[in-house]
Amino acid sequence: MGVKQDDGSIMPTSEQEKISDELDIRVKKFLRGEKTNLEGLQDKKLKGQLAVREELFGKSAQAAAKAEKWLLPSEGGYLEAEGIEKTWRIKQESIAREIDILSARSQYDIVLPDLGPYTLDFTSSGRYMAAGGRKGHLAILDMKNMSLVKEIQVRETVRDVVFLHNELFFAAAQKKYPYIYNRDGTELHCLKEHGAVLRLQFLKNHFLLASINKSGQLRYQDVTMGGMVANYRTGLGRTDVMQVNPYNGVVALGHSLGTVSMWKPTSSTALLKRLCHKGPITAMAFHPNGHLMATAGKEKKIMLWDLRNLKDEPLQTLPGNADTLDFSQKGLLARSTSSFVQILTDSSGTQNYNNYMTHKIIKGYQVEKVLFRPYEDVLGIGHSMGWSSILIPGSGEPNFDSWVANPFETSKQRREKEVHSLLDKLPPETIMLNPTKIGTVKPQRRKEKKTKEEKEADMEAAVEAVKGIEPKKKTKGRNKPSKRTKKKQEIVANAKRPFLEQQKKEEEQVARKKQKVIEQVELPTSLQRFSRKKSAT
Amino acid sequence: MAETKRKSRGEAKGRRGKPSKKQKKGTDTRERKGPRLPNALRKELERLNPVDEGFGSDEDQEEVYGRDLYEYEEELPEEESKKNRRYDPVENLEYQMPEEFEDENVSSDDDNDTRNAGEDGVEDEDEEDDDGRQRTTRITSEAFEGKKKKKNNVVISEAYPESEYNPTRDMLEGEGPVSIGDLLDPLHGVSGYSKLRKRIHHLEKKSVPTPAPLPKADQEKLERKAAYEKSKEELQKWEPIIKRNREAPTIYFDDDMDLGFSTVGAIASEFEPRTEFEKKIASLVYDDQVMEAHQKDGSRLLELNKVSAEDEKDRHNRMAKMRSLLFRHEMKSKHIKKIKSKTYHRLLKKDRLKASSTQSQMDPEAAKELAMKQEYERAKERMTLRHKGSSKWTKRIKERGIDVQDEGTRTAIAEQQHLHALLTRKMNSMKDGSSSSSDDSSDEDDVDVYSAGSDQARASKLLEKAKEKTLNLLDEDDEVPNSGVLSLPFMVRGFKKRNEAAAEEAKLALQEYESWSNQLEDSNGTDNAKLAPPSGRMVFNASKKEAPESSNKTKSDNKIRSDNYYGNSDSEDDFEPKENVDIREDRSSDLQNNGGINPVLLNKESKNHKDSLFKNFDDIVQDPGPKTTHDVSIFASGTWKKMKGGNNADANVNKPTRPLESVVLNQNLQEPVKDLDEDSDADSEGQMVDGVLTSDPKVESSYELPSQAEIIRQAFAADDVEDDFEKEKQEVLNEENPEPEKPVLLPGWGQWTHVQKKKGLPSWMLQEHESAKRMREETLKKRKDAHLKRVIISEKLDKKAEKLYTKSLPYPFTSKEVYEHSIRMPLGPEFNPATAVGALNRPEVMKKPGVIIKPIEFEEVNPYERIEEQTQSGKKQKKRNKSKSNSGKNGTKVKTKLKN
Repeated sequence: MGVKQDDGSIMPTSEQEKISDELDIRVKKFLRGEKTNLEGLQDKKLKGQLAVREELFGKSAQAAAKAEKWLLPSEGGYLEAEGIEKTWRIKQESIAREIDILSARSQYDIVLPDLGPYTLDFTSSGRYMAAGGRKGHLAILDMKNMSLVKEIQVRETVRDVVFLHNELFFAAAQKKYPYIYNRDGTELHCLKEHGAVLRLQFLKNHFLLASINKSGQLRYQDVTMGGMVANYRTGLGRTDVMQVNPYNGVVALGHSLGTVSMWKPTSSTALLKRLCHKGPITAMAFHPNGHLMATAGKEKKIMLWDLRNLKDEPLQTLPGNADTLDFSQKGLLARSTSSFVQILTDSSGTQNYNNYMTHKIIKGYQVEKVLFRPYEDVLGIGHSMGWSSILIPGSGEPNFDSWVANPFETSKQRREKEVHSLLDKLPPETIMLNPTKIGTVKPQRRKEKKTKEEKEADMEAAVEAVKGIEPKKKTKGRNKPSKRTKKKQEIVANAKRPFLEQQKKEEEQVARKKQKVIEQVELPTSLQRFSRKKSAT
Repeated sequence: MAETKRKSRGEAKGRRGKPSKKQKKGTDTRERKGPRLPNALRKELERLNPVDEGFGSDEDQEEVYGRDLYEYEEELPEEESKKNRRYDPVENLEYQMPEEFEDENVSSDDDNDTRNAGEDGVEDEDEEDDDGRQRTTRITSEAFEGKKKKKNNVVISEAYPESEYNPTRDMLEGEGPVSIGDLLDPLHGVSGYSKLRKRIHHLEKKSVPTPAPLPKADQEKLERKAAYEKSKEELQKWEPIIKRNREAPTIYFDDDMDLGFSTVGAIASEFEPRTEFEKKIASLVYDDQVMEAHQKDGSRLLELNKVSAEDEKDRHNRMAKMRSLLFRHEMKSKHIKKIKSKTYHRLLKKDRLKASSTQSQMDPEAAKELAMKQEYERAKERMTLRHKGSSKWTKRIKERGIDVQDEGTRTAIAEQQHLHALLTRKMNSMKDGSSSSSDDSSDEDDVDVYSAGSDQARASKLLEKAKEKTLNLLDEDDEVPNSGVLSLPFMVRGFKKRNEAAAEEAKLALQEYESWSNQLEDSNGTDNAKLAPPSGRMVFNASKKEAPESSNKTKSDNKIRSDNYYGNSDSEDDFEPKENVDIREDRSSDLQNNGGINPVLLNKESKNHKDSLFKNFDDIVQDPGPKTTHDVSIFASGTWKKMKGGNNADANVNKPTRPLESVVLNQNLQEPVKDLDEDSDADSEGQMVDGVLTSDPKVESSYELPSQAEIIRQAFAADDVEDDFEKEKQEVLNEENPEPEKPVLLPGWGQWTHVQKKKGLPSWMLQEHESAKRMREETLKKRKDAHLKRVIISEKLDKKAEKLYTKSLPYPFTSKEVYEHSIRMPLGPEFNPATAVGALNRPEVMKKPGVIIKPIEFEEVNPYERIEEQTQSGKKQKKRNKSKSNSGKNGTKVKTKLKN
């Protein structure tokens, strides 16, 4: 596929165009939006400055696009069907025959029948995997060497496992409380406040551990300082569908009434609630770019939603059940029910997903979780008899950025990165639906009540406006100065009246409220002895 | 009109050319007339107009033809040009004289005028010219006819006869201009005349009548305008440069990188020794030997650096001495500060007094001061009568009777009285304070010889006293203490030595005194009887002696001390504390001495009072002195000892504790180890547990088949989900915007009869309800999720997140969209390629610290040139700047050339 060319050869024009088109697309991506429209600007200086800026932005984007085009070492793979072949017919075995040994190593099944079903989690670099068996088996594996780092048996139900900021720590939602362990399996913390947690999520940039427990309480805990950042009752019942939007850090919960609610730690109400399915929601996943959400309902439907452009209707509705969903880095969507795994892709790039690959594991195995491994074309499947790993060509990002996540990280680099990420830790209030709004002008607040000064100013303005009116010349008897002044005063009083009335009304309201409170508090003396004394809280 | 005028003048000139030629001859014969007609013509004219006198004809013609006839006037012969002067015959006479000096005057006037012209402007010039010329020369006639006519249109009758005090209008206004032709005529025949004439002719052809000058305001306005244009032009040439600088995203000021000295070494290398000291140092530093040593391997430096052991020892000793001195001084001051004894302080005060009195003797300034002070004291005393005995205490004592009192009080009272007497006594003279008082006392006591107060006598007296003192000193036996440190043999030896030295010095001093006194005796031999060596206690004139004596004393003291110090420095360190004590004793002896002297002072002062009292007082005073000092010395040494002892004790204490601590530490160390061991044990146990991978029986029952009810619920779940959601949304909306209450009529309220029931609710209530409803709907419509059935977007504002927004648009921006768009791109190195990061984040001004920003220099800039350097890297920019600077230099060069 790659265009190869010798130094001496001259590129045909069509090729050149192709390349420039490709570059244009990339430049667009790096420009992060269109150029500022400077037409309407009055300020010439600003105009000049912005023009210069835009030019610089353009150059930067150009350079970035070029670097991306020519300097990235590898390209993503994909399956290509020939003739009547279908990509979803291609089995793992046939893939295994075609690939190199190193890649072939990532096709395997681990059979652990006793402590099943397993849930999985990868570190952001994809190097390490945590596996949590329902019956208390916790294991950390190094996926590069295929070696077990540590495994422990907590002898408790384990509902979820999640890595914290790096492979050194991981949290496990156990029977009563979530726990934090280190890599050696030492229990570091028992997070009793969280209660019996069903699902855990870690917000990497904010260092927050989010959990939803059996009673539908959503909690955020800061893992750096240890403080509980937020604790909200969702009020929508028990759920074990929780997913973090990697783009903005908003936590989404899927509920039994088919709604998805999105939360942030600084707001006690859901930012957004949307009715997605008619049945209870079984699974949910976010596209890495944060603009696409996939939900699966019990009514055998998988829906894709656009998060930027909110609409009642989904972008796409796919048939089928899904117990678990996951988006890969490149945007492939994996869904799984019982022992069947399907991978969907939007080959056209128009967010129109269709079947890409399928995989079946041995009948009777119940898939608990599917999870794409970052920076690898690998899908991890946690099921009741252990876990397996299959190859999904084109799922992972082929080029890693060592500043973001380095699969070949040394311990020194890890330490360095830990410090850096701690320094770059974002405060919880930066979580919002549209984080690009940060730094913009504050949205106008709806004014519920005017302040006293404003009210007075309004009144004064009204009075001034009235005062300016020249009174009519009346007939002889009525044009006396005394009458004129009287008239003037009357006008002013009329202008003032509505304001004063409003003020009075408000005062009355306040007084009434107060009265009510007093009434509630004070019982008649004869009845007071029956009232139970409230303990001061 | 102007045209005609000009023409006429031209014609006049043309005509005048000829007559002027003959003027030269004519002037000799008929001086009063201006230019003449040729004789033949004149004769003809005379024949035609048989009039004898020119003036008379003038008058006639004037009357006949009137002034308005222009053409006719032109035709007038020259002789009659003065016709308008018929009213002022006197004036002509007056101006006869200047006519004779015609040429001179003209030239001078001309000069003046030209000078004026430069200032007044071109317009004024001609007029002025004309005025002057007309007044001086008498040429007038045709040349000025046109103008003359105009001016003389109005005839003004004069109220007074004309005189030099009342000049005519003609005089004031002048009569027409003198043309250049007039001036040229005398030049006829001179080389270059024709050329000049041609030029003038040429000029006159072109010349336009000069209009009247504009009003001053307008003139200034025009001038300002012109100046503005000029300055604008000047400034406008800078515009492209300024524009370029303004538009440039970054301005670089690092074109001149020569910062002068960059290192300390460079600065040092520039240094040139100037002062004597610096030169000396330089000569030492840049000594050939030293330099050579530096240049070689430096081993010789060591040799050069060598300091002899003796020097080092000396230095060490000096240092030690200084240190001990300082320390002692410190201790002394500390201990003096601590002394609470009144007597001691009184003594000290007296000491101080004495010192000051001696100073006053030595120093005239101090003496003056002292005198002033004393005067003040006296005045104060006379005012307050403080020591008169009016105080409570003295009154009481007097009541009780002085005899009953003990000696101390008696002395005190006596002293008070004495003080009072001293302070209130009338002074003979206030010329110099203390000495005069002493003089007084001496006057009282001594014989009249002294009252003369001659210097010689005083000197001799001084000498005598000094002698006495030294003798006394010699006589005194220094008691060598039998015990203590001073009894040590070497101390005794030292003592003796010192004594001997002192004795020798005293002898020398005596000899000197005698020689001086001899001289004095020689000078006035009569007085020698009185200079016999005194006997017994020296009581008189003690104050006179004080100065030399005390100075001697201090000298000797110093000597002793210094001797001691050297001794100290020589001796070993072990002795130090003891020596300290020793020195203290010395000091105590000093104090004793002082104590001894003080009474002398007192005696002298209160000579006229009872002696016994003072003796007692002496005793009193003398006793506590040494005591205190003794105490102090003990105290001091005690502290030393104490300190030492304390230290020792501490050391002793410390020593035993150390091992204990170490033991404890060891224990501590051991414990954690144990703990660790235990921990590890536990861990290993835990691991063991890990190893056992048995499944828990309790956990096994996690899988259940869903119950029938649940399946049914799931099956029919979809039915009411949407309704539920809608309800929920309504709830949310109501929570944020509650629905207005329905107006209800309270029975019995606001109604008189059943009338209102029929009418229904009052309209205002309905209206209010309606408006509230409308309001609610409007607000609901404004919601983001208004058109979304299945979405609820929270409208709550996050207060905590408010700090992440800007409250208002930052300054240059006026539109929100533009601003928000302008911040869409991240600028950091994580988001931009390295080539772009620098340009994106470059500051507005690039400047190296220390670079002096020079004022802008003019250079040619193409204003239409597109600014390319916006994104250029620093290098290119620098290059450009270099070229700029070069061009700037060129520019300056050109400038200088121009100046030259």
